Amino acid sequence: MTDPVLYTSSTFTPQVIDAIQTRAELGRYHIRGFGALRNLPRLDDLVFLTASLTRLPLEGYREKCDTKTVLGTRYAKRPMELEIPITIAGMSFGALSCNAKVALGQAATWLGTSTTTGDGGMLPAEREASSKLVYQCLPSRYGFDPRDLRQADAVEIVVGQGAKPGGGGLLLGQKVNQVVAGMRTLPEGVDQRSPCRHPDWIGPDDLKIKIEELREATNWEIPIYVKMGATRVKDDVKLAVKAGADVIVLDGMEGGTAATQSIFQEHVGIPTLPAIVQAVEALKESNVYGEVQLLVSGGIRSGPDVAKALALGADAVSIGTSSLIAMGCNKPIYVEDYRALGTEPYHCHHCHTGRCPVGIATQDEELMARLPVEEAATHVANYLQAMVMETQSIARACGKSNVHNLEREDLVALTLEASAMAKLPLAGTDFIMGIGHQPGH
Amino acid sequence: MTQGTTQQTRSEPLPETVIDCSELTTRDINQALRDHAAAGTEAVTLLNPAGRHNLAVGLASPMRIAIQGPVGYYCGGLSDGITLDIEGNCGWSVGENLMSGQICVKGSASANAAATARGGTICVLGNAGPRAGISLKGATLIVRGNAGPSSAFMMQQGRLIICGDAGENLGDSIYDGEIFVGGRVASLGADARFEPMTDSDWTMLTSTLAPFDIAAQEYDFKKIVCAKELYHFKAREFSKWKDAY
Repeated sequence: MTDPVLYTSSTFTPQVIDAIQTRAELGRYHIRGFGALRNLPRLDDLVFLTASLTRLPLEGYREKCDTKTVLGTRYAKRPMELEIPITIAGMSFGALSCNAKVALGQAATWLGTSTTTGDGGMLPAEREASSKLVYQCLPSRYGFDPRDLRQADAVEIVVGQGAKPGGGGLLLGQKVNQVVAGMRTLPEGVDQRSPCRHPDWIGPDDLKIKIEELREATNWEIPIYVKMGATRVKDDVKLAVKAGADVIVLDGMEGGTAATQSIFQEHVGIPTLPAIVQAVEALKESNVYGEVQLLVSGGIRSGPDVAKALALGADAVSIGTSSLIAMGCNKPIYVEDYRALGTEPYHCHHCHTGRCPVGIATQDEELMARLPVEEAATHVANYLQAMVMETQSIARACGKSNVHNLEREDLVALTLEASAMAKLPLAGTDFIMGIGHQPGH
Repeated sequence: MTQGTTQQTRSEPLPETVIDCSELTTRDINQALRDHAAAGTEAVTLLNPAGRHNLAVGLASPMRIAIQGPVGYYCGGLSDGITLDIEGNCGWSVGENLMSGQICVKGSASANAAATARGGTICVLGNAGPRAGISLKGATLIVRGNAGPSSAFMMQQGRLIICGDAGENLGDSIYDGEIFVGGRVASLGADARFEPMTDSDWTMLTSTLAPFDIAAQEYDFKKIVCAKELYHFKAREFSKWKDAY
């Protein structure tokens, strides 16, 4: 007897069936960690046109390719000077273990770049480990302390993030232990639902005053970043610029989180690729391109991603999920513990449970002990270093002695949708989707 | 001496140092306050504030500051240990994220008074606008008059004492802390509930209000706390959650 032919509905896929039955069990939306699982137009859909006869490449191991990056040159007396164009994104102590936060800070310090606090305030050990620390000012203001503000190297006002623009954060009770609850002034064990709006200001006119307050409190010394999830990018960037931001941090929908409604991750916001393009256009139309820096995040995984973001006009990128993967997220170890969560290595998105098998997204002492700080920091530092070398390799091959000299002219699109979003010609043609034929490209 | 700063010459025992804000930028004014704090000046008076935003923010010294006139947003915000008197009305978010010290507004306060304040006392002798005590994290906010809607929204710790009436949705999504209302409560928000007053509540109110010449016993105080029904999701209580989660 032959095996029966299995028919699969394209409307009610196994995943859709599971999602319906999960909601039927819970009586609410599905909450999970990680980021968008769906396929999206991404930076992979662009490729570089490196040097041959029309351009001269630089020697890979002999000729310099500068990676220095400066953020916050608009108003701050003390801009953020970085050795590389890759920073560590804001992730909270609470969502992440203390070991993970300290390892990120240590790795960033080794590479001469910055790391960022998160919801819940500044962890003293994180400050100590991080030579350059960006202090987030979030809607919740959990643990926000002017004494920590004065220790910061930059402030990042978080309006939204790519995994959930328009939504507030979640930290389920199993991760709100005594220490986390104390830092956030919350009852221990409560399901913490962060607000989505700031408590003390509402619109862009108020934001301008808020930015002035933070500048006054820090003597105008450190840069003020404004972080947004990518939605109505052009208008949002222009408003943030008008409000006085030194740096725009734009997080595309590939951006990760430790917990949110899965509907946000899959159905809200726009991908990083079109977001970069729109943000650069907004900065140029506001006549501040080069004066206000653009930091982009959301699904950055490799040197080519970094190089493409820079070529499209970003000044730097920020990584979150990929830095956690570098330290062991989804690594095939402690496999039985993945299975206890109903998942497998490479598929885990269970950060919200607090039972992270590799000790990253947990507050459980036993699990956290699985993440030795030195080893985790080394892995993140190695990964950052590799990404920088990859970025330099591409830049040199394009004939650039500085990674910031990568430009749109170095790129073409592989797909019609990438062509339309990036406003770049389709590879091998002079055709830009949505614009038409552009002779000379 | 910072530009625009003059010595007080009147004979009454008033603060020794006066800064006339009318010819100075906000940066100049706040820098002058920092300089005075560093020099050990005990008290400073600001004249002609003209509704300016961000006065006396981010100060971390136990200095007394008197502001003669109305101020804009964030007056005294992000400060730690100051004693600030505002002889006028104030804009949004007075005393935002205050860590310790005391702010007294002789007039009324606009929206978000004491937003996310973690310590110290903020007293508004007039009325307070919407969202008074929003995200309060340990400070005490006193409103001698009425407070607007959604006051104590997402309050986490501390006390909100409203001697007059409270607007709609009082204490919506409160996590913890205590709210006292001497007048009428238009409505309670999600997860807020009344709790009987105790003798220790009256003792606390009497001692907390006395420094501001407010007699607690003249008011019919009610106490509101967190019902703790939204701490964890319960599928069978959808009617409570559909607007709250």
